[in-house]
Amino acid sequence: MSENDYPAVLPEQGDRSRGVIALLESNCTVCMLCARECPDWCIEIEGHKVTTPATTLQGRDRSHNILDRFAIDFSLCMYCGICIEVCPFDALFWSPEFEYAAPTIGGLTHEKEQLGGWMQSVPIEARGDNDPADSASDQR
Amino acid sequence: MTLRTGAVRTLVECLVETLADGVVRTSVTDSPATVEVQRDRWVDSLSAAHGAGAHFFDFLTAYDELDQGFVVLVHLSTPDAHDHVIISTRVARDDPRLVTVTSVYRGAAWHERETHEMFGIEFVGAERDDPLLLPAGFGAHPLRKDFVLAARVARPWPGGVEPDEDVSKRARRRPLPPGVPADWPRLEGGETP
Repeated sequence: MSENDYPAVLPEQGDRSRGVIALLESNCTVCMLCARECPDWCIEIEGHKVTTPATTLQGRDRSHNILDRFAIDFSLCMYCGICIEVCPFDALFWSPEFEYAAPTIGGLTHEKEQLGGWMQSVPIEARGDNDPADSASDQR
Repeated sequence: MTLRTGAVRTLVECLVETLADGVVRTSVTDSPATVEVQRDRWVDSLSAAHGAGAHFFDFLTAYDELDQGFVVLVHLSTPDAHDHVIISTRVARDDPRLVTVTSVYRGAAWHERETHEMFGIEFVGAERDDPLLLPAGFGAHPLRKDFVLAARVARPWPGGVEPDEDVSKRARRRPLPPGVPADWPRLEGGETP
């Protein structure tokens, strides 16, 4: 068996192979670090702030960011993995999945639902305790 | 790369012997070994390497070192002994000219044409120097470091958005993308430093 038998036989892939980038939405704080570090400018993020009122008499209102849009344009991505490296909250992971060719260039822009779906294929060694179900997902 | 030892000499040894003081510096700890030569010994050095068995011409390219000019380099190897060498030379920014090596390696013609259009280095004696990849009338050398990447000017930086940004109240002072010089031109709607 070898790579030459593809697509009849799927190639064996190492756990750290760089197929696609998966997003664990529940870990994302919309801090923008990945979008700022990306050398290719291929990550687009939109979010908004919500304020949770104080729950105790002396407490303070808390504000946190809600992710509205997270998209990676894989037609621009050069698979350097810097976004995954810089993420302080372990929201991005390498998945070995590589079968996402698209008939149009726009089809290579994966929105957060599709990026969340890739979490299912992230090896357990990489994702640790994180549950792939904590992602918006459009598993097809 | 395995350097040959014993009676058989390496490409670097042959080059140093043939060119003598035409060699600026060598490094055999690099892999492959590198030899920098004087600009006026450029063709001589490639002839010497070819004579020493380096019949395989891999590529010719250049890189921009700003006020230290451009470094033009070739990667050559001996197909039988698997000895490799990178030969380089430096051309000044205000006089970016070098003699063509197509007399030694015919296949260098395409590489020289590409280096010519990308860096604006003239290869004296080359048969053709019309653009290979760029559209006619492009008028600039995109791999020079002073070339402004048009896409980085025309497109707003995705990282410039704040997490809770209200687009109607965009701050006038926007963070500048890393690596983009502050004096680059800006288009309306893009970030203004």
